[in-house]
Formats: sequence, C-alpha cells, structure tokens
Amino acid sequence: MGKTVGIDLGTTFSLVAVMEGGEPKVITNAEGERLTPSVVAIDKKGERLVGLLAKRQAITNPENTIFSIKRLMGRKYKDDEVQKDIKILPYKIVEASNGDAKVVMGGKEYSPPEVSAMILQKLKIDAEAYLGDKVTDAVITVPAYFNDSQRQATKDAGAIAGLNVIRIVNEPTAAALAYPLTDWTRRRKRPSRCMTLAAVPSIFLSWSWAKAPSR
Amino acid sequence: MAEELTAEEKKLLSEMETPELDKGEEALELPEGLEKSLAEEKEKAAKCLDNWQRTEADFRNYKKRAEQEKEELTKWAVSGLILNILPVVDDLERAFASLPVMSKDSSWLDGMKLIQRKLLAVLEAQGLSEINALGETFDPGLHEAVVYQEGDEGKVIAVARKGYKLNDKVLRATQVVVGKGHGETNTQPEGSAETDKGEQG
Repeated sequence: MGKTVGIDLGTTFSLVAVMEGGEPKVITNAEGERLTPSVVAIDKKGERLVGLLAKRQAITNPENTIFSIKRLMGRKYKDDEVQKDIKILPYKIVEASNGDAKVVMGGKEYSPPEVSAMILQKLKIDAEAYLGDKVTDAVITVPAYFNDSQRQATKDAGAIAGLNVIRIVNEPTAAALAYPLTDWTRRRKRPSRCMTLAAVPSIFLSWSWAKAPSR
Repeated sequence: MAEELTAEEKKLLSEMETPELDKGEEALELPEGLEKSLAEEKEKAAKCLDNWQRTEADFRNYKKRAEQEKEELTKWAVSGLILNILPVVDDLERAFASLPVMSKDSSWLDGMKLIQRKLLAVLEAQGLSEINALGETFDPGLHEAVVYQEGDEGKVIAVARKGYKLNDKVLRATQVVVGKGHGETNTQPEGSAETDKGEQG
C-alpha cells in the first residue's frame, strides 16, 4: 500500500503535506520550495511546464500559461464568474459540449480538472521523491463555499492525476483539525486529550494556513 | 514399506486421537469465550505486526532521508545567508554602474572595487557562481522572464537582475528580458542592471 498525503490545491499556490511520526510535514518540491505555484504551461517546443518554471516563463507565453484554474473548477461557461474571468485572463476560455468552461493551451482544449491534475501530478511526483515510496491516496482541501460540482471537479482532478481522493476537506476544517497537531504547549500539558484529537484525523491534513510566503 | 508403515501409523494415530479429541472437545467447550478472545488477540497481533513492519519501513526511509538532508544541508546551509547578502551585492554593482563622473579615476574607487571583488570571492568560496544569461536561449529553469520585448526570439536580450547558483543548484534565478522576435536584431545595450531597470520603468 502506498502513502497518503494531504494536498492544498490553491488558486495561486499548492502544497503537499504528509504525516510523519504523528505530525504533519510540508514536503519541499523539486525546486526546494514548500509552495508550488498553481501554474501550468505548454511552451513553444510543446513541452509541459508545471509550477515555478511555468511561472517564470509566463510573460513570454501568456496565451499558453494557465493560472488561477481553481476559479474555473466545476463552473459552466455561462456562469457570471466565468464571463468575468474571460475578460481578465490572458488565456482562452471556451465552452465544452456539456456547457462546462474549458481552457485552451498549446492549441488543445483542457478541462479545469485536467489542468488541476497536472499540478496534482507534480505534487505527487515530488512527494514520491521525498518519501521514497508510491503515493496512492490523497486528502484534498477545498474552500468551504465550494458547491457539489466544484468538489466533484476536484475529485476528478485527483483521479486524473492517479490519486485516490479519500476525502475532500474544507479548508477551515483542515486548519482546525491541524491545530492540536502543532500546538506544543497544550500537547505537553494534556497529552491524553491531544492524543485522541491527533488520532481522529488518522489521515493526513494539509494546512491552509501554512501558506507563509517563503520569499 | 514406507506406505504400510504410514498406514499403520495412521491407524494408531486415529485410535489414539479419538479419545483425546473427545476429551479435548469437552475441555474446549468450557472456555468458548477464550477461543473468541484468542481470535481477537491473534487479529490484534497481526495488526501490530503489520503496523510495526510499516513503521520500520517508514523509519528506514526517514533515516535515509535524514542522511540525504544532512548532506544537502551542509551544501545549502549558507544559502539563506547568501540569499540575504545578494541584494547588497546587487546594490554595489548598481552603485558602480552609476558613478558620478568626477570620481571615475580615483584610487579610492579602485579600493572600493577591490572590496567588492573580495566580497564576491568570499561568496564564490562557498560555492556561489553567476548564471550566464545574456545572449543565451531563455530557459525557465535558470531564468525568470520579467520583460518581453522586441529582440532575438527566445533569447535573453538583457539582464534585469543577476542570478546565482550555489553548488550547481539555482539559488536565485536571473531576471531577464526575453526577445519577442519581430525583425530588428539590433544590439541591445550590454548592460548593467541599472540601465535595464530603467527601460522597464
């Protein structure tokens, strides 16, 4: 059986954490950073870039650099939010046959879950490199206001990336659950109580509050 | 012979076993709860063994990783400090790039330049090296595009902020101006950070 990780799939940045000896640990990516920009691009050579590298080349290739894909997750093309985004975003957004919003990158259409899956895949690969083990399952956090179709789109993204999404957790819930895991003062004073609390999320949580910018 | 013997043995055994079994059944009937708890304990033991094996594997991985991290740490221990010193290095370069005309030939200035070189030598001794960018093909692995304007297509036509590697790992990507193509391939001012920054603004 492979490992389970917690993923914060954010609008601008994403990160992945794993439980290590009962404590959550944020995994550094191949570039040595804890945060991975949620950016995907296809460069002029047709090569796919994800994360920091995609971000670095963004201004040279704005039509084929997809960012803020989370805004389009599980949304219909005709939604007001999407119509607003079309005016702001430099990449092309089109309508899929089922009415969903799709993006164009490198001349090909991709659904938002497909783009998110590319980010998840990178996180998965980086986590596997760190753990020295296969990653099979994941808990992914979503904003509390996400509706059913947005949650389903997030699950789909996980599936496309080859991850079994065992749970979708609301971001504030994840923050609350993570609190006893790192609150040392309370932990020392009341070990029994905190042990139970730590055992409840026997799975792995990502922390939305871990988004402290490294630079 | 062997078969016969085994057959005989079987007979003997079955004769011996039956009375024993009877006794055994009687004996087993009493502690049925015990049997249940034995199964439970067995299950628990299997779970414990599984957990133990998993933890052992985790620990082995952890140990391997800790060693790897230690190795990397020795190489990267100074990275944080150097990253904070780099802006000072940038400032020095910018200061020398915009010298007041009067001070251009003073020996005091030569001394200051020697100090700058000394600072760089100290950093280089720690494994710091500058990333070549000007004229190279834009590579997002090394360069960060900050301006996209006319010039050789896909080439770095100017450097906005120098980038550095520490022990062959990118510490800070070079901020560069990337060429868009479109005709003119006029020579860009080979430049100091200052002039390039000015162009951006």
